[in-house]
Amino acid sequence: MDRDVERLDALPRLGPLFAKALLPQPRAEARLPARTVVVTGLAQPLPRLADYDRVCGFPLRDRVPATWLHVLTFGLHLHLLSAQESTIRLPGLVHVTNRMRLHRPVDATEVLDLSVRAGGLRPHRRGALLDLVGEVRAGDDLVWDGTSTYLAPGANTPGEVAAEPRPPFEVVPPIATWRLPAGLGRDYRRVSGDPNPIHTSVLAARAFGFARPIIHGMWTHARLLAALDARLPGAFTVDVSFAKPILLPSTVGAWWQPDGDGWRAAVTTRDGANPYLTATITP
Amino acid sequence: MAGLLERVFYSAPGKAVAGGLGLAEPPVLRRGRTAPDGPVALASLAGSELVAETLRYLGVTTVGAVSDDGSEATYPQRIGALVVDARGLRRIDELERVRAVLRPAMKALNGSGRVILVAEAEVDGVEAQAVRQALDGIMRTVGKELRRGATANLVLVAPRTAPSDLASTLLFLLEGRSAFVDGQAWTVGPTLRDAAPETSPPKGPLATGIPGARGQFGGETAAPLAGRIVVVTGAARGIGAQIATVAARDGARVACVDMPAAGEALAALANDLRGTALQLDVTAPDAGERIAAHVASRYGADARIHGIVHNAGITRDKLLVNTDADRWAQVLAVNLAAELRINPVLLDGRPGGLADGGRIVGIASTSGIAGNKGQANYAASKAGVIGLVRAEATELAGRGITVNAVAPGFIETEMTARIPFVQREVFRRANSLAQGGQPVDVAETIGYLLDPASGGVTGQVVRVCGQNLVGA
Amino acid sequence: MQLPRTPVVVGGNRTPFAKTGGAYASASNQDMLTAALDGLAARFGLAGRQLDEVAAGAVLKHARDFNLTREAVLSSALAPTTPAVDLQQACGTGLEAVIYIANKIALGQADVGVGGGVDSASDAPIAVSEGFRRALLAANRARTLPDRLKAFASLRPSDLAPVAPQVVEPRTGLSMGQHQARTTATWGITREAQDELAAASHRNLAAAWSAGFFDDLVTPYLGLTKDNVLRPDTSVEKLAALKPVFGDTMTAGNSTALTDGAAVVLLAEQAWAQEQGLPVLARVVDAQVAAVDHTSGDDLLLAPAHAVARLLARQGMGLGDFALYELHEAFASTVLATMAAWESDAWCRERLGRDGALGSIDRDRLNVTGSSLATGHPFAATGGRIVATLAKLLHERGAGARGLVSVCAAGGQGVVAILEAV
Repeated sequence: MDRDVERLDALPRLGPLFAKALLPQPRAEARLPARTVVVTGLAQPLPRLADYDRVCGFPLRDRVPATWLHVLTFGLHLHLLSAQESTIRLPGLVHVTNRMRLHRPVDATEVLDLSVRAGGLRPHRRGALLDLVGEVRAGDDLVWDGTSTYLAPGANTPGEVAAEPRPPFEVVPPIATWRLPAGLGRDYRRVSGDPNPIHTSVLAARAFGFARPIIHGMWTHARLLAALDARLPGAFTVDVSFAKPILLPSTVGAWWQPDGDGWRAAVTTRDGANPYLTATITP
Repeated sequence: MAGLLERVFYSAPGKAVAGGLGLAEPPVLRRGRTAPDGPVALASLAGSELVAETLRYLGVTTVGAVSDDGSEATYPQRIGALVVDARGLRRIDELERVRAVLRPAMKALNGSGRVILVAEAEVDGVEAQAVRQALDGIMRTVGKELRRGATANLVLVAPRTAPSDLASTLLFLLEGRSAFVDGQAWTVGPTLRDAAPETSPPKGPLATGIPGARGQFGGETAAPLAGRIVVVTGAARGIGAQIATVAARDGARVACVDMPAAGEALAALANDLRGTALQLDVTAPDAGERIAAHVASRYGADARIHGIVHNAGITRDKLLVNTDADRWAQVLAVNLAAELRINPVLLDGRPGGLADGGRIVGIASTSGIAGNKGQANYAASKAGVIGLVRAEATELAGRGITVNAVAPGFIETEMTARIPFVQREVFRRANSLAQGGQPVDVAETIGYLLDPASGGVTGQVVRVCGQNLVGA
Repeated sequence: MQLPRTPVVVGGNRTPFAKTGGAYASASNQDMLTAALDGLAARFGLAGRQLDEVAAGAVLKHARDFNLTREAVLSSALAPTTPAVDLQQACGTGLEAVIYIANKIALGQADVGVGGGVDSASDAPIAVSEGFRRALLAANRARTLPDRLKAFASLRPSDLAPVAPQVVEPRTGLSMGQHQARTTATWGITREAQDELAAASHRNLAAAWSAGFFDDLVTPYLGLTKDNVLRPDTSVEKLAALKPVFGDTMTAGNSTALTDGAAVVLLAEQAWAQEQGLPVLARVVDAQVAAVDHTSGDDLLLAPAHAVARLLARQGMGLGDFALYELHEAFASTVLATMAAWESDAWCRERLGRDGALGSIDRDRLNVTGSSLATGHPFAATGGRIVATLAKLLHERGAGARGLVSVCAAGGQGVVAILEAV
């Protein structure tokens, strides 16, 4: 067997892809593209980075946020899941966990090579789980890799459903209160390029069973890293588990605490009783 | 396009293809201050107790080495390392003892295992010298035959060397820090003594090192550079940033030096390491003065540099037929002349200069040892570093200052990333470990040379090349 | 006056200054101030250290930046327990922040602190019109929907246009350039003299950059490694070709350009600094602020001429007692008019109440590494740039060398200070 590589000349435009991704797919056994999709020689769009930093609360400096590198690869996620041979489409997927490692600080002026592949299809009690694995390189240096694990509700794939270890969440006293305005989804759409209307339209949100639009999980993730920004080392791994979506507008709590050389952190309900997102950061 | 080919090659299915072509997936090397995976076997072949005493000094417990007496004896379990004290071997027939302890170990060594031969640096007599040289050949062959990231090295011990002199070298070789040092031989002697009293710990506003220094193996402290000042040039990125990071991990207060244009990355690194940043072109005529002034003004007038790592370097590759005077001069100025000019300034006793008992580390290169097409200027500069190191080591021995160099082979950096893939893959795999080294491998080797316990290692060039086929 | 405790300049750091809309177009004041603080922390090993206070400010400031300096500290490598204060005195902000910290050190309220400033004309706040603002406030107060709608009923289409900040004196409606054009005419400052000063500024700055003078004063930011207003190849001839923009003689070449950047200065008590093993460049001897009544016809930007006279009188010094002079080049003609005022018997008698002229300045000691015409002038950052530069220059000249700093500011104000090499 061989893994094809599809090389794109530039990051794809996401609007048309998204529309394509909305087309219904047959319900047979789930399939994912076997290709790796690659964009090389990408100069980072600095104005968009500055906008991203602003929306997520990062200062603008030469070192880019780890989550920014995820955002750069996101278009390739959508590209892969819009492909003919994919029975799984991005709309409707639930981002369950995200793990990324920043191997070394990355400068805003570095030219990057991105690659994303899909895989890891495995059954889940509500459908199937899959991984989108991204890598970012600068020259030969692997500078970032990240695994986004999504749940495809209703998807069908053979195998045993693995147990889902969900560590019990202990109530935390929030350190920060964040007010998420109703238009935040629009702002994050602009900087992330994620066109999913579930984040911006009440109607679309209702179609997926939410009373109001929900903020992108990766915004919440980024906002949490931004809160810790000056205290994060040059290289680190962050593991995030998305417990529940945040409806917009909302006021939420955020909590963090040093844990060994790293941090434990969470975004919670205002009172700290229930988590929206839990994270561990290790050097 | 090269990058693409490479990614296909290293993608999971690509690896299967490569495997089918007989290119095994390179082993993942054990790194850091980690102990070997399994017991350390010890063999003393001719009654020398030095290695045994050194390992005891380090707190390393050992098991007896299994010897092949014709009964195909084997180890009851996998071992992490075999250390052979071959001091005292004088006759060719005695080399059989070496074979006998190596044979079972070749089978029993775990991944990233170690074979460490220890022999005498100076022996008398024709046969004894032949025997000593034979050990070198054995070691190099063992290095090539070992698999799964295991390495073989030879330590040559000068007369009057004590266990405490040898300890840092054996610890380095046993630990994961020496991951990419393979097939090498270098000499350890008695620790240099200097007349000056120990320098007082520097004052200054700086926290000591970075938190979270790793645990220890054996009896050696994990923060050997605690409170000491280390200067690293070319520190903003790549190998230099790793050198600074490892020095900070080992407890040093690091003064990070790089070109003014690299200042932002340099500042970020210095802040990460709780060190200081000095924006400086090392080829400036007053570079040495400015380094000393920086140290004196940041760490107090009494402060002295414990170690300086001359890492700043550039390449301007062209075949000689296309090399003009400018390309020639630039490379020599940065890679060699700067070090030559800075060292005497730091050694003239000024505030912020190099302490007696200090460390100078240069960066040579396998290109400097073996030459490299298109790199005449670079090879000149790096071979020059080797010459400089040997001469300065002799000159400064009386002050207790060691002068050494590391010679990196193929290290995965931004610089090597510019080599076309196929050629790079050839270079990368042209060593016993079948992979390129990491910047941290160079940094760890430098950390070993900076260690105050390595006072008996001077005038040496330690290659960090995975036993590259290029060069000696 | 001998202070019981001596505030000294330890060193400084700034970003390269960038033409507005260029390298830092996306950067906010907080971003740039953070970068300047991070570079300072790295230069002096302050990462993770708690300082006694950081004082800084910006002239063009967003409402959201009400706590700009403190927020920058929190984003920086300094310990998050470092307190901070925002100050603002128009273009005098940076120097005023340095004086504020120096005074606290002299009084024993602090041992170590940072003074500085930042400005971005690229990321300037855009306000809604006054009419729209009032309507919004009224709507916010209204309790019912009809009341709310009524609040907007009075809006005219023109109220909806955004209002960009202008460097206009509120009481005269004149821009700073227009004010300075009057001063230029009053003092008869020639085009040639202005262009000559501008050319010297570029020449001096270019020479300082190529000599590596700024290696320990500037840390690159967002890929910019040098001030990019600087034109090393400019000349009096090239400047002479430019068209006037204010009055008959003031051109874009002899007026400062809109610029983005940040500058900070590390100050400490002298004994404390020495004990900590930190460098000691120059002590902050004394400082003075003055204002003129530009609403009654005074020259808007000549307040420093008054401030310097008072400062010299208090210190018992003469204008010639300085090794170096740093007169901020808001416009070339500002510097020339200020010097002309000091040289004028009549003006000094009439306005300063002196017997005669204050004296003249040796031009070879003026702005020897360039000033705002060449570096650009991110308003609040200029004071920090000048203090750090001058402290280094004085230190190179040896203990006792004195320098005079003079910065003019909007509103007819001037801030001046004396540094002396330690």
